Amino acid sequence: MLPAAAVFHFPWEINSGAVKDGESVRTFGRLVCYQPEESRATLSAHHAANEHTVVIHTLFVEPFNPILGAQYLVLGEIENAEEVDVRVQARVLNCIDGVNVALLQKAINEQRSFFRERECTQDGVAQPGDAT
Amino acid sequence: MQASAIGPAEEPSSILWGLDPIFSAFARLYVRDILQMTESTQVPGIYFYNSHPINKVDILGTVVYKRERDDFFCYGDDGTGVINCLCWKSDAFKEEDHSVREKHSVEAYGNFNLVTELRKLRQAQKERSCLDIGEVLRVRGWVKTSRQQREIMGSTYYKVNDPVMAVQIAWMMEVPRLYRECYNKTIQLNPTATGDSSVSMFSKATNIIKDFFKQKMVTRFRPYDIQDLLQPLVFSQPQKAPEDQQPVAGLSACQQLHQLLKKVLEDLQNEGVIYRRVKSQDEVYDVTVQDKDLLLAVKDVISQDSKREKHAEKGCHILHILSAVRQRHSLNVSRAALELVLKSLECSSDIVSTSDSHYTVF
Repeated sequence: MLPAAAVFHFPWEINSGAVKDGESVRTFGRLVCYQPEESRATLSAHHAANEHTVVIHTLFVEPFNPILGAQYLVLGEIENAEEVDVRVQARVLNCIDGVNVALLQKAINEQRSFFRERECTQDGVAQPGDAT
Repeated sequence: MQASAIGPAEEPSSILWGLDPIFSAFARLYVRDILQMTESTQVPGIYFYNSHPINKVDILGTVVYKRERDDFFCYGDDGTGVINCLCWKSDAFKEEDHSVREKHSVEAYGNFNLVTELRKLRQAQKERSCLDIGEVLRVRGWVKTSRQQREIMGSTYYKVNDPVMAVQIAWMMEVPRLYRECYNKTIQLNPTATGDSSVSMFSKATNIIKDFFKQKMVTRFRPYDIQDLLQPLVFSQPQKAPEDQQPVAGLSACQQLHQLLKKVLEDLQNEGVIYRRVKSQDEVYDVTVQDKDLLLAVKDVISQDSKREKHAEKGCHILHILSAVRQRHSLNVSRAALELVLKSLECSSDIVSTSDSHYTVF
C-alpha cells in the first residue's frame, strides 16, 4: 500500500484543527526549540500579526542537526491526542533555511486555487448531467 | 473527480495521436492525475488525460519510501499523490572496484588527469542517483500499470539539490500554468478535413510544378510545357450530376486548367522561384536557381564589389546586389528571386553571408 500524499498546509491551519487526525501533511516553520530527550521540536511561523507554532515529534527523523532559528520543512502525520495539542509525527524533516517564505506561500496558494478552479469547472460540467 | 475521464467511444483514433504535441513530450502532470488517468482501450500502455494521449511523464517529488535492490524503487510524493517510481541503476555504477585499482598508476599527465576526472564524474553521477527518504527526486519515464498499481518506469532520474526549495517552488508555480495552457485544453484530433478544395488544389499544383523543376533540372520553359502536369488535378474533379448541368458561372475543364496555371505561375514568380529575364510576346520563364548566367552574375557582383573599400568590411548589402544585378543581367529580377540565388550560392560555399542581409566572397 502506498502511503497517502502529504498535502501542503500552513502552520496556522494545522493548529486550528483544519486537518484531520491521521492525515499526511507537509508544513514549514522556524525551529524555535528542540528537546532531544523527548524527541520534540517546535516550529513557528508568523501570520496576520500572530505567532503560530506547530509541535513536531521527531523520533523517526533523528538524529538531525538542529539549527535554532533556521527554516525547516516537515512531512508527516497529524496526531490529535486529547491531552496534548495537535502535533505532527515527522517522517521527513529538511532544513530549508534561506527559503523565500512569501514565495512559498504564494506557490502553495497558486496550487490551491488551481485545484479549486478545476473542481468548480468539473462540478459545473457534472451539473447538467445530474440535473437530468 | 472523474469528470475529465474519457469514455471508450470518445477516444480519438490511435493513428491521430502523433498529432498531439503532448504525446511526444514528457508531460508534467500531477501525480494525482497520473494515478487517475484512464487507460486506452485501443492500445494498452497509453493513457488519457482530458483527451490527450499520454505515455510519458515528468515529476518532481519527495522520496517517502525506498527499496533498493538491483533496481531502485522509491515512492515519490509531490503533494497531490504518491506513486511508485522504478529507477534502474546504471551498469556504470557497478564498476566501482575496477576503477579504484587504477588509482596509483596515473601521475604522468600533469594537472588534468583523465582517469581521475572520469572517476570523479562517475562518483558524482552515482551520488546523484542514490536517494534517501526526504530527498527531492526528479523522474522522467513511462507510465505503466503493474499488478493494478500505476507506476513510473524511470528512464532518467536524479536527486535534486534544493536547499532553499527554489526548484520545488518554481515547479509549483509552473505546473498550473502548463495545465491551463496545454493539458486542460482539449485538442481536436480530426483527420485533416478536405477543407476548401480549390485551396488545396492550388497548393498541390504549386508543389507538382516545383517538384518537376527540381527533378528535370528545368532551366527555362513556356507555360504550355507544364500545362500537362496540371491536367490530372483538374480532370479528377468530381463530375457534376446530370441535374446540375447548368452552372451559372461554371467553367469548362480547360478554362479551369488555364486559370490554375496562371495562378500558379503568378505565385511562383512572387516567391522568386521563376522570373522572366526578357519580357516579350513570347512568354518564356527562367527557373531562378537553375539559371547559370544569373548565378554567375550575382557571384561576379559580390566578388568585385567586396573588394571595394566601401564594402570590404561588411560585405555587400542585398539591395546593392539587387540593383547591380538588375543593371547587369535583367531588370526583372525580383528581391525574392535574388534571395533564392544567394541562398543557393551560400549552400555551395561560393559566397558567405556576414549578416542577415550582407554577403561577401573570401
